[in-house]
Amino acid sequence: MDGITPDLLALQLFTGLALGAIYVLLALGMSLLFGMLTVVNFAHGAFYMLGAYAGILLLGFGVNFWFCLLFAPLLIGGIGMLSERFLIRHLYGRGIDYPLLLTFGLSYIMVETVRIFFGTQGLPFDTPDALQGASDIMIGYFPTYRLFVIGVAILVIAALWLFLERTPYGLIIRAGARDPQIVRILGIDVARVWLVVFGIGTGLAALAGLLAAPLQGASPEMGASILAESFVVTVVGGMGSLVGAVVAGLLVGVVVAMTSLFAPEMAQVAIFALMAIVLLIRPQGFFGRAGLMS
Amino acid sequence: MLNPDFVARCKQHRVILAVAFLLIFPLLMPFKAIAVNILIYGLYALGFNMLFGTLGLLSFGHAALFGGGAYACGLAMIRLGLPWWMGIVCAVVIGMALAAIIGAFAIRTRGIYFAMVTMALAQCVYFISDQWVSLTGGENGLRDVTLTKIDLGITTLNFVDPLTRYYVVAFFVAIALFVLSRILASPFGAAMEAVRENEARARACGYDVRATRYLAFILSGGFCGLAGALQALHLSIVPLETLAIANSGLVVMMSLLGGMGTFFGPFVGAGVFLLLENLVSLWTVHWQIFVGAAFVACVLFFPRGIWGTILLGRGR
Amino acid sequence: MSDIILSAQGVGRSFGKFRALSGITADFQKGRLTSIIGPNGAGKSTFFNLLSGAFEPSEGRIIFEGRDITGTPQHEFARLGITKSFQITTVFPQLSVHENVRIALQALVSRYQIWKSRNSLPELADKADALLEVVGLTERRNRAAGTMAHGEQRALEIAMALAADPRLLLLDEPTAGMSPEETKSMMDLILKLASQRTVILVEHKMKLVMGISDRLLVLHHGELLAEGTPDEIRRNETVKRVYLGQREH
Repeated sequence: MDGITPDLLALQLFTGLALGAIYVLLALGMSLLFGMLTVVNFAHGAFYMLGAYAGILLLGFGVNFWFCLLFAPLLIGGIGMLSERFLIRHLYGRGIDYPLLLTFGLSYIMVETVRIFFGTQGLPFDTPDALQGASDIMIGYFPTYRLFVIGVAILVIAALWLFLERTPYGLIIRAGARDPQIVRILGIDVARVWLVVFGIGTGLAALAGLLAAPLQGASPEMGASILAESFVVTVVGGMGSLVGAVVAGLLVGVVVAMTSLFAPEMAQVAIFALMAIVLLIRPQGFFGRAGLMS
Repeated sequence: MLNPDFVARCKQHRVILAVAFLLIFPLLMPFKAIAVNILIYGLYALGFNMLFGTLGLLSFGHAALFGGGAYACGLAMIRLGLPWWMGIVCAVVIGMALAAIIGAFAIRTRGIYFAMVTMALAQCVYFISDQWVSLTGGENGLRDVTLTKIDLGITTLNFVDPLTRYYVVAFFVAIALFVLSRILASPFGAAMEAVRENEARARACGYDVRATRYLAFILSGGFCGLAGALQALHLSIVPLETLAIANSGLVVMMSLLGGMGTFFGPFVGAGVFLLLENLVSLWTVHWQIFVGAAFVACVLFFPRGIWGTILLGRGR
Repeated sequence: MSDIILSAQGVGRSFGKFRALSGITADFQKGRLTSIIGPNGAGKSTFFNLLSGAFEPSEGRIIFEGRDITGTPQHEFARLGITKSFQITTVFPQLSVHENVRIALQALVSRYQIWKSRNSLPELADKADALLEVVGLTERRNRAAGTMAHGEQRALEIAMALAADPRLLLLDEPTAGMSPEETKSMMDLILKLASQRTVILVEHKMKLVMGISDRLLVLHHGELLAEGTPDEIRRNETVKRVYLGQREH
């Protein structure tokens, strides 16, 4: 292992951050849904997968990649809103397991629908021309597209933060997360807030899937394993905490990248080992409220 | 909804009734292979339901216990050269041991966290099995778990014959049913009921809620391990997919479809699921879309499942 | 002075920055009925939860029969000889009334046996019937606990608390939400129980406990305001001031 230089480590760190950026987007959506609606979305992986396929569909219609980045999350977020409005909404107040089970069933339908229209085989997804190649980032050359993924994640986090902290709508959402009763007393239509939150959460998952597609292609099963990984991120960061989602997402990404450098066969297992350690030391996760877990 | 008195009378003799049913069951099925599958998945669902139905703990990681049992049985036979029945014993032990390890982490959490953590840890088992090719065969699965003849001393059973195979599997399932019935009727069964009904009160009475859950998880692992071993013997191979998330989800679906918390519900669920799968796959490869839709409908309209609805009415 | 069964030594509890209870020191005498009273938000429930082991105190220690029990897990309390009733009715709703009590009794003899039948412990079933007799629920024996009237469920809770034959019985507002008749019979029951064991009662309504308590502790803003016999408390000027303008109901 003489080949491992500080520069290589630094580059691998960037690879980890790019991977982490995908995790962050997924976990943000998941935490948002849990924090606001106490819904654990087992279809989150399926929405991620739909994001990638929405990209393929739109590119097929000749829409360019930049517009895809905007329209694919909107489209899938719309599907998310429809499923909230017509299915999940009936289950609020019926125990936390029911929305979880329903979304799980929903994921089967979504995966199979994609198989019907796009086939069971995975599809390639070309990196957009403008983002091909590598860029010099002082320590060495790094794939431009991965830099772009990191950039998009930063933009989304900033936008989400501005939206939640600086807009009247964000204020309502934050208040609703703390106490739905208050929002109702203020005469605000909580059902609309739920709908919007569901749209944002699933839209973020779709964006993550679209961004991941050029890195690993698209396949109907791509959501299944990422679901378990995004659970790890949410558990490590602390359920319902947006800061936790960002920190844990990046951490998990870096851990995967570093383990694949030293012991590639352990990369997947390392994620779960990390979760086990966090559960032992701090069961509520980095930023979770104590007591939530027990 | 059936007459409650009738239900109560049947409940007392449920193991005998079940065994009687197991004896005639293959004669009702179109092919024997599906009857064997229903038994195996029914047992798997039964083990799962011991946690979900009896304690309200939703695990999304039971594939690790089922698959762990399947691999344990196969490895014991292939790598250690042990006889098939030792393979089954190993499967039960490994199923319980894996449950003890996964449970040690998962039991620290509750509700949805429990579902997430069990799923993540099961995924970890999947990746270990995927990577450890020299032991498990990796992606190709564990092949050549062959059992053709069972020597009973006085006679030899031909395990290749579908009907004989069915009754061998049914024998183990009947034992499992008996054991489970004993557990549910035991003082520990009462402790599980107490924990499910009211955690705070159970604790105040003197029950250690965490220990009760942990023990139940381990026992559940034993049943699922047994089901996995039977699956390995039935298929003569342990595919890597046995450990996949989809297999964890499958048992959740079967339990909910049949009716969680009822004794036979999981069996009914496994039966309906597999028959549905067989029927629908006759005219479309996309049977999963129907399964997903049936599941969504069940969550929305029949939360008690098929068997639960027959026994207790629709409810909620 | 009779000997002391339970003593709180500088016991306090904070939730985050909020200090719900600070440094309370108090002794509870054996065989007496002591009531903890105070206006809403005085810290009564917090104090109760610390004494009964539901929370661990963030400071101080709790001594039961000369033994330090600070930090003992909740499920050990029944075996120590301390049981409680909750402020919010807490029974096993779908199980029969008899099974509720039987399960409470069983906790002391068998918690993890998986192979015996639960019917192999017939003495528990008899004991459960005896306890139902004590709280007057014999006729309700086979009903699902959750379908009974509120007052009856509270009585069932007391029967379950008695299952461990506790030397110390802790009751958190046992008459909360009860009709006047139910309150009357609950008070009679408490008096009956107090003649045989030590009882600590948390109550919001001062009038209710004045007549039956041997001693009173008055909490206010998380601190011990006064301690004494009902007469002493009645004459205490500070207590009067705290309760002044507080409408009793």
